[in-house]
Amino acid sequence: MADNWQTLISQDALEPGDVTPVPFGELVLAVYDTVNGIFVSDSRCTHAGANLCDGYFDGKHIECPLHQGLFDARTGQAKAAPVVRPLKMFKARVENGFVQIAPISK
Amino acid sequence: MSSATSHVNAAVQTPITQAMAEGALTRKELKALMQRSNSPALLRLLAWFCVVAVTAYFIWLAGDSWWLLPAMFLHGIVLVHHFSLQHECCHYTAFRTRWLNDVVGNICGLVIMLPNRFFRYEHCDHHTYTQLKGKDTEMIELPNSLGGYFWYISSVPYWKAKFSELFRHSLGELTPAEKKFVPKEERKTIILEARLMVLFYAVVIVASILLQSTVAIWYWFLPVVLGEPVMRAIRMTEHVGRPMVYDMKTNTRSNIVSLPWRFLCWNMNYHAEHHYASSVPFHALPELNRKLEGYIHVEKHGYLGAHVDILSQLLGRSPRQDKNNG
Repeated sequence: MADNWQTLISQDALEPGDVTPVPFGELVLAVYDTVNGIFVSDSRCTHAGANLCDGYFDGKHIECPLHQGLFDARTGQAKAAPVVRPLKMFKARVENGFVQIAPISK
Repeated sequence: MSSATSHVNAAVQTPITQAMAEGALTRKELKALMQRSNSPALLRLLAWFCVVAVTAYFIWLAGDSWWLLPAMFLHGIVLVHHFSLQHECCHYTAFRTRWLNDVVGNICGLVIMLPNRFFRYEHCDHHTYTQLKGKDTEMIELPNSLGGYFWYISSVPYWKAKFSELFRHSLGELTPAEKKFVPKEERKTIILEARLMVLFYAVVIVASILLQSTVAIWYWFLPVVLGEPVMRAIRMTEHVGRPMVYDMKTNTRSNIVSLPWRFLCWNMNYHAEHHYASSVPFHALPELNRKLEGYIHVEKHGYLGAHVDILSQLLGRSPRQDKNNG
């Protein structure tokens, strides 16, 4: 299982204290440099599909750039209207200076 | 569930992704402009209270003289601009502290009878489907005649819609169109909000009767009614007469207006900029205007210039842009 972790991006290439978009196959993932470490989610808002990487990030919460719905970037939990469904989160780690995610089960 | 949810599995191009893809703005610039602060809004609120107090004082000074009507009109113009502050709060861009936006937004909503939570949901779909006929929840159509133009500005249709909306919601009813943008989980909140608003006005009216006070009438209700046509005319300048297309470069109009109007409308005259990046707070919109110069449609002659454009279209002196579907 450990060998199956997939590398996304070098930690140095992340936007410090912000959210960085990282293309991954057909997806664009959002990599958050939060106050509690690195977290990764699908970059699309669960309300209307806007790219959350263009949103305002305060170190804990990511705000949708289109309607200002709010998610906890560490858990994916929907925190404020109009979002009601949680973000799809990916198990992530930093290994040898690279952000990696666990294999995605489809 | 919102109608917008149907897009979730598709790649959605928002105005801001478009602007960055087309090189109008860099990601670094966007992120810098998005930074929030409580200070600009708190300072402006302080000035705001002073302006409200001064215009209210004019009503008191006018007494029973013929100045009463102009004084109430002036005060009303200020009061109806609580919409602009509420709008900013509904985007959570007035204050950095998120709950402050909710508190102030709800207070503004009580001043102008616009339930905050409901407005937020309605406004979301306005941003998703800006200027798309049948989808834009706040669309004001280009009138077909001068009669239609003045009828809209009179605010009669506006108040009719707002009273009917509040009445329906307080009875627990939402229209099928409203159910498209208010998630099922939130309908109870919208109904409760409407009931609390009705209760609030009932308390004000009963208290006024018991205290034999007409303050609410002279300093609040009548001024708001008198001032609303100004707000209707301003709201028209944002999109009316612009092409009914998805492209934000053309479907929205920014208006260059003088400082007093910018103060009153919380910089919402930079409307195209706001639609491009609705996460950018009001105090950064002038800077965003400079960055997007030449990229968006700007009416240099302000609100009056916008109305000249609207009137020339409805009088047939220039092509109607509502027939321009790209």
